[in-house]
Amino acid sequence: MAKILIPTPLRQFTAKQDSVTVPGATVGEVLAALTTEYPDLRKQIFTEEGKLRSFVNVYLNDEDIRYIGKDAAPAADGDTLSLVPSIAGGTH
Amino acid sequence: MIRIEPEPWAAMVAHARASYPNECCGAMLGAIEDDGKTVRQAIALENAFEGAQAARYELRPADLLAADKAARERRMDVIGIYHSHPDCDAYFSATDLQNSCPWYSFVVLSIQKGEFHHANCFLPNFDQTEAPKEELFY
Repeated sequence: MAKILIPTPLRQFTAKQDSVTVPGATVGEVLAALTTEYPDLRKQIFTEEGKLRSFVNVYLNDEDIRYIGKDAAPAADGDTLSLVPSIAGGTH
Repeated sequence: MIRIEPEPWAAMVAHARASYPNECCGAMLGAIEDDGKTVRQAIALENAFEGAQAARYELRPADLLAADKAARERRMDVIGIYHSHPDCDAYFSATDLQNSCPWYSFVVLSIQKGEFHHANCFLPNFDQTEAPKEELFY
């Protein structure tokens, strides 16, 4: 069971919980379990094709999953997943 | 509607002035309540854009993750992001829109010749195609 920290604006889709715990042996399985239990979250995190939205980064504890195996990264009991947006900008 | 308390507002303006002529960026912590959002603390974050920062900013996701942890420890939430536009108005540019996230309010501070001029707040949509203004009080 891994804990997922829910960003403030997404808590409306998780019954106002700031974190939820769901089963899964990999990051992909944990995210699938999360969006199965809270289906309104799916559109927030994934595209219609089932890919992570371009502005969504997933961290397993303090590691960006892109560098540790992406969806296949193993998730152990007690691990924490965070959803962190990519943000940038400029004047033009 | 988003209201920024005097202390975080002063910190944001000071950060934007100190970063001039480059862009600054940071996270706004506070609460979302029935009558709107209130910013109670501003956390200055490093502009991680690799290149000229006079017209660009980039937040490191790891820094934003740290800001989220700090907010949770202080029983607050990350409710917005701020950045500055040196010698430009406080609009939401095409670059801002293309690199935005619909989860947060985005405050833009216009810094003209090193001094604060005006500010606006925007709420980008999901598809990063529009960012209507959000009423801002500071």
